Amino acid sequence: MNTHEEKWTAWLDGQLTGKELEQFEASLPDISAAELEKQDSHKLSALLKEQITAPSMTNVEFFHHQLRTEIARESRPALKPARETQASWWSIGRLAWTGAASLAIAMVCTFFVMRDDNIGGQSTYTQNVLNARIGPEVNSYATISMFETKEDKVTVLWVEGLQSLPSEYAAK
Amino acid sequence: MMFPRFLLAALVCCCLAFSGSSVAAESVWSGLVVATNAPQPTPIPAELNKLEGTLKGLFGYNQYQVIGQTRSTLKSGDEDWLASSKYFSLRVDSKSGSRAAYLLNLQLFQEQKLLLETEAKLSKRSPLVIRGPQVGEGQLVLVLLVE
Repeated sequence: MNTHEEKWTAWLDGQLTGKELEQFEASLPDISAAELEKQDSHKLSALLKEQITAPSMTNVEFFHHQLRTEIARESRPALKPARETQASWWSIGRLAWTGAASLAIAMVCTFFVMRDDNIGGQSTYTQNVLNARIGPEVNSYATISMFETKEDKVTVLWVEGLQSLPSEYAAK
Repeated sequence: MMFPRFLLAALVCCCLAFSGSSVAAESVWSGLVVATNAPQPTPIPAELNKLEGTLKGLFGYNQYQVIGQTRSTLKSGDEDWLASSKYFSLRVDSKSGSRAAYLLNLQLFQEQKLLLETEAKLSKRSPLVIRGPQVGEGQLVLVLLVE
């Protein structure tokens, strides 16, 4: 021990012995004041040991439970979030409900699309008239078009370009 | 006690309804119609009553006279018939179709000359109207409808 402070601390703790003790006490300017300070230091140390103790816990069982839970959670960090996600969303029941809801939405959409087709009449008349052709002896520039009336759904085959005939052809 | 009786009654009604509709034959009216404009138009034939507005809207004539017609009862769904006037004839060949619609092969002849041939589905919901040739100041129109 080289410094004065270290030797002073060791002297207070009673750790200096022999020649080193004699030399240190000889170096002190007032040995009686130092002895008094040594006694005060010992009193303070004893007082601190007596008064300062660890605080007592009021809810020991709860603390232990929390501690065990935390240890258990940290011991499986990767598994738990995945299982929580599965349990929260992709349970069998929710999967079934999601499927049923999707099916219902698809059916509603199909219904509206098919209804719109019928309103326009485009699909109906093309289904109703499968094919149409002008006779081979008729002039070649005659044309056929098809449509459906919106009001009463009459399928109309409109032939243009047939040869006009005299009025006697209207006879019964 | 009441529920089984109600269920049985409903079942019997359904059976009767289905059996009745399957036996009931439908009638198809086929007509050759000449549309003209007349200062004093004659009333439209009864068969065309439901289509009066459509015909007038489509062709713009105020008088519609039937020059040839036939009414056929479809039982097996595999019949053929002819509606004819002096110069025109409409030959209809019915092929077996579903309950909802009949599949018809139609041929319009001017005497011996085939003017038009078509294959079409005819249903109660959707009558068929065909615009034929111009005849004098009027127009030949073919009409097929399920009665």
